[in-house]
Amino acid sequence: MHALLEPFQFGFMLEAFFLAALIAAVSAILSCFLVLKGWSLMGDAVSHSVLPGVVLAYILGLPFGLGAFAAALLCAGGTGWIKAHSRLKEDTVLGIVFTGLYALGLVMFTQVETDVHLNHILYGSLLGIERNDKIQAIISGAITLLVILLKRRDLMLFCFDPNHARAVGLNTAFLHFLLLALLSATIVAALQAVGIILIIAMLIVPGCIALLLSDRFDRMLLIAVCSAVFSALLGTYLSYFLDGASGACIVLVQALLFTFVLILAPKHGLLAAHHRPPSIENPPTSTLPPP
Amino acid sequence: MLHLLAQSFLENALMPFQYDYMLKAIFTSGLIGLVCACLSCFIILKGWSLMGDALAHSIVPGVSLAYLAGAPFALGAFIAGITASATMGYLKAHSKIREDAIIGIVFTTFFAAGILLNTLFPSPMKLNSIVLGNILGIATGDILQMLVISAATLLILLFKWRDILLVSFDPSHARALGMNVKFYNMLLLTLLAATAIAALQTVGACLVVALLVTPGATAYLLTDRFKNMLLIASVMGALTSIVGAYASYFLNGSTGGCIVVLQTAVFLLALFFAPKHGIIAGRLLAQATTAAFHQQQRALRPSPPPTERP
Repeated sequence: MHALLEPFQFGFMLEAFFLAALIAAVSAILSCFLVLKGWSLMGDAVSHSVLPGVVLAYILGLPFGLGAFAAALLCAGGTGWIKAHSRLKEDTVLGIVFTGLYALGLVMFTQVETDVHLNHILYGSLLGIERNDKIQAIISGAITLLVILLKRRDLMLFCFDPNHARAVGLNTAFLHFLLLALLSATIVAALQAVGIILIIAMLIVPGCIALLLSDRFDRMLLIAVCSAVFSALLGTYLSYFLDGASGACIVLVQALLFTFVLILAPKHGLLAAHHRPPSIENPPTSTLPPP
Repeated sequence: MLHLLAQSFLENALMPFQYDYMLKAIFTSGLIGLVCACLSCFIILKGWSLMGDALAHSIVPGVSLAYLAGAPFALGAFIAGITASATMGYLKAHSKIREDAIIGIVFTTFFAAGILLNTLFPSPMKLNSIVLGNILGIATGDILQMLVISAATLLILLFKWRDILLVSFDPSHARALGMNVKFYNMLLLTLLAATAIAALQTVGACLVVALLVTPGATAYLLTDRFKNMLLIASVMGALTSIVGAYASYFLNGSTGGCIVVLQTAVFLLALFFAPKHGIIAGRLLAQATTAAFHQQQRALRPSPPPTERP
């Protein structure tokens, strides 16, 4: 019993719990919008492309969050521009742009002596994070959370039905930019805590869990946040005993939760689809789940 | 004086070739760049660009498991890659979640498992050399694995490229001709996983997708014929990989980064200056069309206006 409570006795563990929960909550809320909009892999691309921004910010002596934010916007904007001006598909352009930026970051990184550890950016280090960076993460997380909550209805309409949003007089170009900016800010907040590769999972999985459990958007947000915070806390707790890789632990707990929900969800789960009594919309011969 | 300068320059330029490890790295990079570039033409047409990224990340736990089981690392990586793509296929067919979200969930989960396995059971193949690539430190046994994978992939593409092309372009037509579309999709996926493993060693998990997308996309901007596209992509893929590996000696850093930066630069050149599909050509064409339109309007002006309807 004593051993199980051990992690809670250390100040640094409590801070890690708090930071993990905050990042998880922010990215969970954003993940609901991204999953609906079909932007899941945008998170993948944007998170990789922050690397040159971090190195450049270090050279110029700016806060690294600023550089990362600028690089993320460059990736999203560059992808949109090239797609509009060439005959390539969006996923191809996304692949080219983010790998180009990431590779540039790698080459720059080897040329400059920095005190930023590449491993911390790649895999995150919830425990090894410095005071300044922690404050940066909390501020950018809090701002993102506030903006999303204020603009929730507009963003939801934009994600569900951009044409309708335009018809009722919303500025969809601005909302598009806003969503990209929020995505970039979340990635900046999570950069040092969970790393640029695993943040992708935190930006997709909670939204998917919630999508399987609920058909109402407000409830979806709530479920996503709860599941993400729960996984963040449990993952961080487990990582204390496993001695390392807190980001990986958080993502694996989330994945486990997703698997449970995928199988057992009352309406959209695999078992529910299997045991649904035959009806007109769902004839007994059909092996496909209803839409 | 000039003569001396030229001599020292030449000596410096030839320096990388004096080292055995550099020769190995340049040769292997060039070969892998070539194979990936051939495959990239099909991947682009099929719209599987981000599948390459997902597979490259998914094979990471396989490497650790292969080490624990004492198997060759390519085998473990291959099994992990196929498992990941099978999981994606199953989820896509049986749940209401969109395909891109499924890809994201599966590959990040596999990658997280890989990181955890690697921290729990440190293997001689360091996590960083998987994620960032380590062509300079490649072992002879691994080069042999690369050679086998590359040769097999090239041979299959050589004999089956027409079939794979038809299936990628127009699956319904292929099905109507009585071809086994499912088999060819599986074949392409298998080739993708195999080359991703080969590329892992050169550029690392995060940059594999560049080798699997950029050459094909560059060639696609330069030509309208598939055979030419294959040719341009292979030449570009092989050359950039060779020059990138060579340049990394002087930059003293990330081989994968150098190769991919070079490829992206070539892509950007093609994007702007391609003779037909480039941005500048597009602008000029638009201007010419507008000018021709105005000229036509001017020519038409003297003619009497059309009679108005009552």
